[in-house]
Amino acid sequence: MKTLVLGLGNPLVTDDAVGLRVVEQLRPRLTERADVEVDVDYAGGLRLMERLVGYDRAIIVDAICTGATPGTLHCLRADSVPTQHSASAHDVNLATALDLGRQAGAHLPKTADILLVGIEAEDILTFCEECTPLVQAAIPRAVEAVEAILSDERNSL
Amino acid sequence: MQRISIDPITRLEGHGKIDIFLDEEGEVANAYLQIPELRGFERFCVGRPAEDMPNLTARICGVCPEAHHLAATKALDALFHVDPPPTAKKLRELFYSIFYATDHTTHFYALSGPDFVMGPDSPAAERNILGVVKKVGMEIAGKVLKMRRDGHALIKMIGGRAVHPNWGLPGGVSRGINEEQRKEIEQLGRDAVEFAKFSLKLFGDVVLANSDFVNLIKNDAYVHRTYNMGTVDKNNKVNFYDGMIRVVGPDGAEFARYEAKDYQQHIAEHVEPWTYLKFPYLKKIGWKGFVDGADSGVYKATPLSRLNAADGMATPLAQAEYERMYETLGGKPVHNTLATHWARLIELLYAAEHWVELATDPGITGKDYRVLPTQKPTEGVGSVEAPRGTLTHHYTTDDRGILTRVNLVVGTTNNYAPISMSVKKAAQGLIHKGQVTEGLLNMVEMAFRAYDPCFGCATHSLPGQMPLEVTLRGPDGEILRRLTQFVP
Repeated sequence: MKTLVLGLGNPLVTDDAVGLRVVEQLRPRLTERADVEVDVDYAGGLRLMERLVGYDRAIIVDAICTGATPGTLHCLRADSVPTQHSASAHDVNLATALDLGRQAGAHLPKTADILLVGIEAEDILTFCEECTPLVQAAIPRAVEAVEAILSDERNSL
Repeated sequence: MQRISIDPITRLEGHGKIDIFLDEEGEVANAYLQIPELRGFERFCVGRPAEDMPNLTARICGVCPEAHHLAATKALDALFHVDPPPTAKKLRELFYSIFYATDHTTHFYALSGPDFVMGPDSPAAERNILGVVKKVGMEIAGKVLKMRRDGHALIKMIGGRAVHPNWGLPGGVSRGINEEQRKEIEQLGRDAVEFAKFSLKLFGDVVLANSDFVNLIKNDAYVHRTYNMGTVDKNNKVNFYDGMIRVVGPDGAEFARYEAKDYQQHIAEHVEPWTYLKFPYLKKIGWKGFVDGADSGVYKATPLSRLNAADGMATPLAQAEYERMYETLGGKPVHNTLATHWARLIELLYAAEHWVELATDPGITGKDYRVLPTQKPTEGVGSVEAPRGTLTHHYTTDDRGILTRVNLVVGTTNNYAPISMSVKKAAQGLIHKGQVTEGLLNMVEMAFRAYDPCFGCATHSLPGQMPLEVTLRGPDGEILRRLTQFVP
């Protein structure tokens, strides 16, 4: 099973970068996993869907804003995140993008195989290259969460 | 007083929220568009080497990193007093034409197109790109995704990275292209021209052939007679990468034509207490409030504005479409906000044609693509037409090239006042006696969406939820009704 671990975020905007930081730490720990590719990107919607083409499974690591305590981890499946009416976005939501890609014949992971590891953010509006302390402290837990997902799969094979 | 709140919170453009206030009779009293601005960018930049700016500013926005990258690179040319060689300018413009074609495609098919192809009254669940595919045919999904895939591949080939380019340098670019690459760029450019022609034909068949849609475009609720701004070449034709900034009045006559470096002589910014974002206006006319007309300094900088501010398009097919649009809509200038979508497709065709022109230019594979700066840096302004309006970067440094001051006027900011006015006018025209339906709210949103607004960041945290929320409040603030739309 070919898996993509993708950190999403903006490296310049405080907690928005947390997905990138998690992936930076994961990269050296996954060098022996030939079935796992680690990368970063910055956007959702169509661009994210296009990035997932060719994989059987994806683990997306990103900041999330639900109102929970900053640093809280949310492990979700792509279809369990409420989708939005992207009324004026420069893109569509991921579910729509995945449908479009599949209709166009792209090989994409099943929606149930797109997992989201969200780290509750505190500040996603200030230009700063460091995360806030609670979010920073959550990075090792997020790394472990991704590793747990990956090793579960290995055991089950 | 009743309050209606439209909250199209989105992943890529930052959070925008529209508040519509109703009076006792249920008529629209006022409408506000509020934008929580990303904080502290100037402070973040000051103290860094100016050469970092093309890479740094490309990251402030996930929507148009290429526009920031080139505006910053041009600001560095000016800052270091270097004039890039012709090959470098052509390569930058080629790169930018490819970006434009890709970006305009996404906006039309994913965002604005569904309103027209499906109709503004269609259910939200169908009013998206999947609905378009269902109605127009399967092959369209493949065409749109191919256009995006080709654009991204070439941006990576030329700019060095898929995510954010690291290519522009003061005095040129870091590398050129070889003949093999040129051939591929040319071939995909020819495909892009066909795609643009197909898109304009689709617009003609679906929108222009339907009198309801033409009437919607012409509806007075979507008309604003303001000044228009755009960049023009030496023949006053539309140019995205370089030229003079031209402003025409509501009557279409030239009001100003200036170099980007003089922008502060022409543009000033107004502050309102209810938002952090400033409202740029024409300094020589002055700020007269959120009003139309020749006496108000409000201007627009959109695809339609660029066409209004120019005398035509520099490529033949786009020029023919330009003439057709003005003929159909009653001559220049056109002030119908919804015609911006048509203008965007004409720009898509121009971008694709210009892409082929540049890919077949004998100088494009030249090896002379950089001049080394030798003078001390001082101050520099760089400007391009971002898809969403004129984008200006202005840097000041010390003798070592360390930034001491940074000012950006981003594309959408130009349009902040007209967007606010358009939303209010559409709401006033469509909402009466407190009667609000999903279709009406979508028609109000269409006024907003025409500008393809983007509020300057890649804040894309996965949302807990992103509904379109509409809250009706009674005179005492009590909630009378709440509508929430989700795309299932």
